[in-house]
Amino acid sequence: MSRKIQPSEITPEALYISRRRFIKKAFLSTSASLLIASCSTQESDINPTLDPELSAFSSQTDDQGNILTPYNDITGYTNYYEFSTSKTQPTELAKNFVTDPWIIKIDGLVNNPTTLDRDQLLSMFESEERIYRMRCVEGWSMVIPWKGFPLKKILDIVEPTSDAKYVRFETVFDPEQMPGQNNPSFPWPYVEGLRMDEAYHDLTLLATGIYGKNLTPQNGAPVRLVVPWKYGFKSIKSIVHIEFVDEMPVSLWMAVGPSEYGFYANVNPNVDHPRWSQATERRIGESGRIETQMFNGYEDEVAALYEGMDLTINF
Amino acid sequence: MKISRIQIIGNLIGLLPAVYILYETLTGNLSADPIRTTTIITGRTSIYAMLLSLFCTPLARIFRMSVFHPIRKISGLFAFYYAFAHFLIFSFFDYQLNLDWIIPEIKQKPFLQVGLIALILLIPLAVSSFKPIRQKLGKYWKKIHRLVFFIAAIILVHITIASKGDIVDPIVIIAIYILAMSLRLPQLRSLKIKSLPDWLKHVNAYLTNKNNAS
Repeated sequence: MSRKIQPSEITPEALYISRRRFIKKAFLSTSASLLIASCSTQESDINPTLDPELSAFSSQTDDQGNILTPYNDITGYTNYYEFSTSKTQPTELAKNFVTDPWIIKIDGLVNNPTTLDRDQLLSMFESEERIYRMRCVEGWSMVIPWKGFPLKKILDIVEPTSDAKYVRFETVFDPEQMPGQNNPSFPWPYVEGLRMDEAYHDLTLLATGIYGKNLTPQNGAPVRLVVPWKYGFKSIKSIVHIEFVDEMPVSLWMAVGPSEYGFYANVNPNVDHPRWSQATERRIGESGRIETQMFNGYEDEVAALYEGMDLTINF
Repeated sequence: MKISRIQIIGNLIGLLPAVYILYETLTGNLSADPIRTTTIITGRTSIYAMLLSLFCTPLARIFRMSVFHPIRKISGLFAFYYAFAHFLIFSFFDYQLNLDWIIPEIKQKPFLQVGLIALILLIPLAVSSFKPIRQKLGKYWKKIHRLVFFIAAIILVHITIASKGDIVDPIVIIAIYILAMSLRLPQLRSLKIKSLPDWLKHVNAYLTNKNNAS
């Protein structure tokens, strides 16, 4: 069970994983003491393969002082039903997923419909770093340093017409590469949507990377949406089609469970879900729970979008 | 009282998921969300053990093998142990015994209410598994233990609500439950093998530590 410690492992990644180690130890010692009298903790959960790029993020936090979720957790624990309903299997199953070449079609109610390939997407705008909290509807959350650009930069190019009321996004449909798309429980392909004002909002990101690196397939390579004040399932992955429409799109989760998953899906501790707590959440890498914030803590930025709306009806 | 081989083997098998959880915890491999993972493993184990216990009575009859009786007791008890561990992880590790969080969740969510009722109903079954209590209960023991049919049924409700989107998984478990129950239909009562092959007699005798195969 012993493992050689790589010289590179000592610092500086230790900075941002040290807290996690402490938390894990705390969890271990309480849980283990219930089961056995003594225990020895090991730290083999930390991947020895180190990347100097990652260390640049070692001391960063989000706007509320929350420490970044480790890279290995973000890339090793995902919801990507196109590959598997398991949280850990997409990492393996998506390993050889082809994201190059990649074409995104942008059309519908716009003046300038267009197609963009992968290289254009990755280079057409200067990429920004945005550290966002990601709150999954299942009651867990992460703090993720995204790389990407605001969706509105694309909107400014294609110029939606005044008839466009919503944006509809679609994930690639390729059951040969995505075995989960053979699961008959879901109406593939994955579809998500935003209202135009949400799409134009500065927080709404088209992400191409995390921790300064390009997205891994299981995180939605080559390009995905990130809408930090909404539940994670709104942040659709591996987009191939962006369409501007005049009617509210029906998302995959709305089709599967209309009483459970609404179009807006704003993070809201006051609107219950039949399975998961929306009042509290587990921050991945930490023990126990924390209280969920209205609009995932982005209330100042986005509350105005929903003024006058009953959020228990428009959930 | 002599301990039979099936008791040793059965209890060791029943401990495997707990050993797995302990090992994965100590090596830090319990995924990025250990609370969720352990909640699922303990819940699953409890359901599988309960389903196994439901098959024991019909199988004992069909195959004329007494070894299914100790298996029924062991699997029934492990169903309770893992259900209790499942509850402890929920209340202690996940919700940190914070009643301001736990009570509203239980009030809101029927699947939690159902799970809690099932756990409470399992307590008298587990307690009355001990021989002195079982003997004291006499003919009532059997009646009390018929509760498991109801408990298993409401647990199916619990897991059906708890599973997200994927309908295949709960359907398989519900089908297994229906199979176990249908083996109890009066029409199938006479379903028995004519005579047990010798090797199965030996297996039964070996596992139950009885010299005469029944």
